[in-house]
Amino acid sequence: MTNHWNDLQHTDVAMIIGANPAENHPISFRWLLKARERGGKIISVDPRFTRSSAQADLYSPLRSGTDIAFIGGMINYTLQNNLFHKEYVAKYTNASFIVKKSFKFDDGLFSGFDEATSSYDKTQWAFETDKDGKPLRDEKLENPRSVFQLMKKHYSRYDAETVSTVTGSPKEDFLKVCELFCSTGKAGKAGTIMYAMGTTQHTVGTQNVRSYAMLQLLLGNIGLPGGGVNALRGESNVQGSTDFALLWGDLPGYIGAPKAIPEHATLEAFLEKETPKAGYWSNKPKFVVSLLKAWYGPNATKDNEFAYQMLPKGNKNYSHISLFNAMYKGELEGTFLFGQNPVVGGPNAGKEKESLSNLKWMVAVDLWETETSSFWQKEAGSDPSTIATEVFLLPASSSFEKEGSVTNSSRWMQYRWKAIDSRGEAKADLEIIHILATKIKELYKNESTPAAQPIKALHWEYGHGDHPDIDIVCKEINGYDYKTGKQVPGFGALMDDGSTCSGNWIYSGFYPEEGNNRSKSRDSKNTDGGTNFLNWSYAWPANRRILYNRASADPSGKPWSEERAVINWDASQKKWVGNDIPDFVPTKAPTDEGGTNPFIMLGDGVAGMFVPTLNDGPFPEHYEPFESPVPNVFSSVEMNPTVKVWDGDFNKKGNYKDFPIVATTYRVSEHWQSGSMTRNQEWLSELVAHMYVEISEELAKEKGIKNKDKIVVSSARGDVTAYAMVTKRFKPYKLNGGTIHHIGMPWHFGYKGYATGDTANRLTPHIGDANTMIPEYKAFLCNVRRA
Amino acid sequence: MVEINLNRRQFLKLTGATAATLAVVELGFNEKEVHASTKEFKIAKTTVTPTICCYCGVGCGILVHTNDETVVYTEGDPDNPINEGKLCSKGTTLRQLYTSEKRLTKPLYRAPGSEKWEEKSWDWMYDTIAKRVKETRDKTFVHKENGITVNKTETIASLGGAALDNEETYLLAKLMRGLGVTYIEHQARI
Amino acid sequence: MATKYVKYVDVTKCDGCRACMVACKNWNDLPAEPQDFLGSMQSHANVTADTWNVLTFVEHENSKGNLDYLFRHSSCFHCTDAACEKVCPENAISYTDKGMVVVDQEVCVGCGYCEQNCPFDVIHLKTYKDENGKEYRKAHKCTMCTDRLDEGLQPACVTTCHTGAMEFGEKDEIISKAEKRVKEIKERYPNAQVYNPQGVGGTHTIYVLAEKPSVYGLPENPKVPTSAVLWKDYAQPIGKAMVGGVAMALAGAFVANKFFDKKNGGQEEDGGGNHE
Repeated sequence: MTNHWNDLQHTDVAMIIGANPAENHPISFRWLLKARERGGKIISVDPRFTRSSAQADLYSPLRSGTDIAFIGGMINYTLQNNLFHKEYVAKYTNASFIVKKSFKFDDGLFSGFDEATSSYDKTQWAFETDKDGKPLRDEKLENPRSVFQLMKKHYSRYDAETVSTVTGSPKEDFLKVCELFCSTGKAGKAGTIMYAMGTTQHTVGTQNVRSYAMLQLLLGNIGLPGGGVNALRGESNVQGSTDFALLWGDLPGYIGAPKAIPEHATLEAFLEKETPKAGYWSNKPKFVVSLLKAWYGPNATKDNEFAYQMLPKGNKNYSHISLFNAMYKGELEGTFLFGQNPVVGGPNAGKEKESLSNLKWMVAVDLWETETSSFWQKEAGSDPSTIATEVFLLPASSSFEKEGSVTNSSRWMQYRWKAIDSRGEAKADLEIIHILATKIKELYKNESTPAAQPIKALHWEYGHGDHPDIDIVCKEINGYDYKTGKQVPGFGALMDDGSTCSGNWIYSGFYPEEGNNRSKSRDSKNTDGGTNFLNWSYAWPANRRILYNRASADPSGKPWSEERAVINWDASQKKWVGNDIPDFVPTKAPTDEGGTNPFIMLGDGVAGMFVPTLNDGPFPEHYEPFESPVPNVFSSVEMNPTVKVWDGDFNKKGNYKDFPIVATTYRVSEHWQSGSMTRNQEWLSELVAHMYVEISEELAKEKGIKNKDKIVVSSARGDVTAYAMVTKRFKPYKLNGGTIHHIGMPWHFGYKGYATGDTANRLTPHIGDANTMIPEYKAFLCNVRRA
Repeated sequence: MVEINLNRRQFLKLTGATAATLAVVELGFNEKEVHASTKEFKIAKTTVTPTICCYCGVGCGILVHTNDETVVYTEGDPDNPINEGKLCSKGTTLRQLYTSEKRLTKPLYRAPGSEKWEEKSWDWMYDTIAKRVKETRDKTFVHKENGITVNKTETIASLGGAALDNEETYLLAKLMRGLGVTYIEHQARI
Repeated sequence: MATKYVKYVDVTKCDGCRACMVACKNWNDLPAEPQDFLGSMQSHANVTADTWNVLTFVEHENSKGNLDYLFRHSSCFHCTDAACEKVCPENAISYTDKGMVVVDQEVCVGCGYCEQNCPFDVIHLKTYKDENGKEYRKAHKCTMCTDRLDEGLQPACVTTCHTGAMEFGEKDEIISKAEKRVKEIKERYPNAQVYNPQGVGGTHTIYVLAEKPSVYGLPENPKVPTSAVLWKDYAQPIGKAMVGGVAMALAGAFVANKFFDKKNGGQEEDGGGNHE
């Protein structure tokens, strides 16, 4: 989230798209309803009328997979009706930049597309620059090669009629959404967009988010209270675990992991290649070297590139889909699972389950026996005698049987204290990881093979005894001066000469030498920062609560409006002051070089309307999902052309003739993710006890299905049997060329626990977004019949 | 140790500090009045520990009431500004994470081809897992590729961790990268 | 008379999260009772002896032709003139000093008249077995967390409700709040109304409903059955004056049977559910 949960109360209009917070982030609705008491409005855009829609002032249906058409239409509406915040757009975004003539767009393809590799030559999308390499600008936004004019042209194709034809949203509903949300383009007004997996789990997921960001930038809604683009994160620490890089492509703090390419062969080359010349990331060498010092300690020296060579260098995409593809082909021997249950939660889950039997060994650390750790059982439909996988199932402590911090969606790092000893013999993951590391290191103690070197070099000193001292871990994350041992005050103090360490630079500052571990801060009464609660927990980076808050003030440093003030330039004190930590150099005056560039993490200091670095184009363009019931109205390119299509039987594709119904998946308030946490509890299992499929009254009538009937939903990948929930909350979609039915179902179920049912993900495709490889769970084709 | 370790009286005061409850207390409910029931008040003698909900990314505060044996009640933490003592259905039932009969309480091992779990000691599990990691790693470790030092183990994967604490994810990332693992993924992707 | 407190339920602020349902189970240590699939998000058809509040889900096309997804926290109303209290032959049901209607399970003999006569169908019997395997029954329902009230705490369901759909407070204030709220929402919900039925003397749960009560399966004008009034206010006192305690209980059982056994052709009047 650019903003935070409490900040939602300041919004004038909240547009919820690709999310269902009343069900999946219920307490957010406490703040949305407070916003409404102040006169705010709530919009819900969703394929189905949800519990969030029930509380919205305005609802518009949207066929799953057509967000870019919808938002593209809103961008067009904003531009055609001059509702955008002109000065903000001209000064704080790259709308004024001039794009090279080599950039073109024609019939669904941007210039530079290579069919053989399904990829673009992005150099064709570059900006015109002056002799110093600085982009040329036209702040009047009139140059026909300006981003602004190119954007206007691109989205002129997204008129309300076409949008309605593609999305199935009635034109009048779409226009009502435009009118209400775009009213926040005025100074003094703020609109927020709230999204979640309904946005990201598509082959165009990244561009879906991009389209939201563009709309918000046009309306001047980024950086101010009640504004922002707010990703509602679905797990208590999915923010933290992402920050700490439990993803293949990153090292902690969003430092790209080195690859097996010549440009990364040495630390020097890596830093040269990956450090931008401008923007805050120009400090990257300090963060990288400090991380290496945290990981390799005394074994990281200036002479050995700070042990840079000990880091693994990959040569391909290692994301979830690739991982299971490799497992299916027998390329993996062992897998660790820390509370993950892909047999329920993975795309094309039936195949992911099959893949597991190709493992030699599996270590599952969990509170429960899950469908994944038990994949070899008869109840799972397996023949145990034919499965040679050894499975180690380790009982883990629950969140309040141990201590440590978690980072919520607002980037607030909050501490959880231990309330009770662990159930039975369960142990904290911290201890399990620690002992495994110690035991593995012990096995390599007397070896000097290439395999032994990196693990021996890993610095692992977390106190005596089995349970590691969490305080030592915290200090290492924050970072300290290697000579004095004193904790650094923040990432500004990190050095690239090996004199400091920090396990994750963006968290540096949460545990300064003076004072406590700030994730333990529990002062909600002291109102420093107003509703920003600066004395409650610690928000990375640097305890900032509203990101890009420099943009809440005009170029001269004065808030765009008093009611939306966050920080302002105080000329007498020569610093930025206000109710949040400035997301800016605190003493950089508006008149200084770069003093009007609020987006400090970006090289140009301004936000990107036009982003020439993404795989699938600088502007979001509508493409149909992998499986779609209709041809693309916008161009002759059906699917995102840069998506990797996996071959083989892991990813069978269904066509409209056999599978004419659009399906999507979602969650409910009462269960969580793959359900292993909640289906193993009685009270929650009682609330939603059965797998069901929601279908419209019209489809039910067509198929002769009555409410509560058992039905079979099939896709090209598999089928599931579940109860029919016949509802008015799904309606058939009127699209170009006819009526399309749309159904949906929760993906929480499996055969373990108190509440059991078929696993929806046996239906979903094994294909992902062109940039992130996040699977396209949210839009696929199916058919329905009575069981 | 956490700075709030509330006995019941403090707890009442704490709850009373939120506007809605305050009204009730001030309107004359007699705190000293004891209900005629012989049953002791459920949270009369519990230890109260603050935690953060383990489910979605909102990060609501929860108070865990424990006695010597078990968790007797869980409720919203009124001091936490995010939820101000309120919770959804999942947060409200946090207690059953501890009390559920389905919790795993012992390490379990499944041998190749076996139809059942066997209980094993932690030591045996740790030792055997460490051995498996080493065997796989030693056999498949790649030191160099096209002249570049790559130090990787592409035959082991690590999945999950979105429910772990930050400190745990930090150690997990450090250990896995330290082992040369490249297949590192978790729930953020799916 | 002591100040009266009521629970306020503004269904138009409810987002259906059902924390109230589990907060009740958590505080009162009530077991889960698995149900068949009901064809909607609703978990239980009605409250039971082990599930004292149920969130109802109704899909309703309103007078403007728009879809409303209506939620209602459904639980004991704690009537001021409670039929259950009137018909109980054992005086196991009583009012607390705060006006809440509570059952003393030590005294309850499981006759079931309360269940048969409740105009809202919110009190139910639970069957137990003694050590000899003999079955016996006790009535159970929402207590308004009387134990919490006595300690200065709000009911568990109210305490957990995050949207402000539920509050607990002084009766007159809540009623004026409810009336004000109805005015605010009239444009969106033309049929919005306060539900505090006078046929049972008013209730200790005051609702703001978005629609007519019948849309929620609630009786439009619930009353205490005349038979119950006759019994409690006339027959029982007379009986008590005439005979001793034990004989009274016997006589009570006989008379009550005659009066209240609706299933065998007893009283039929607007005391009960058009909400099936």
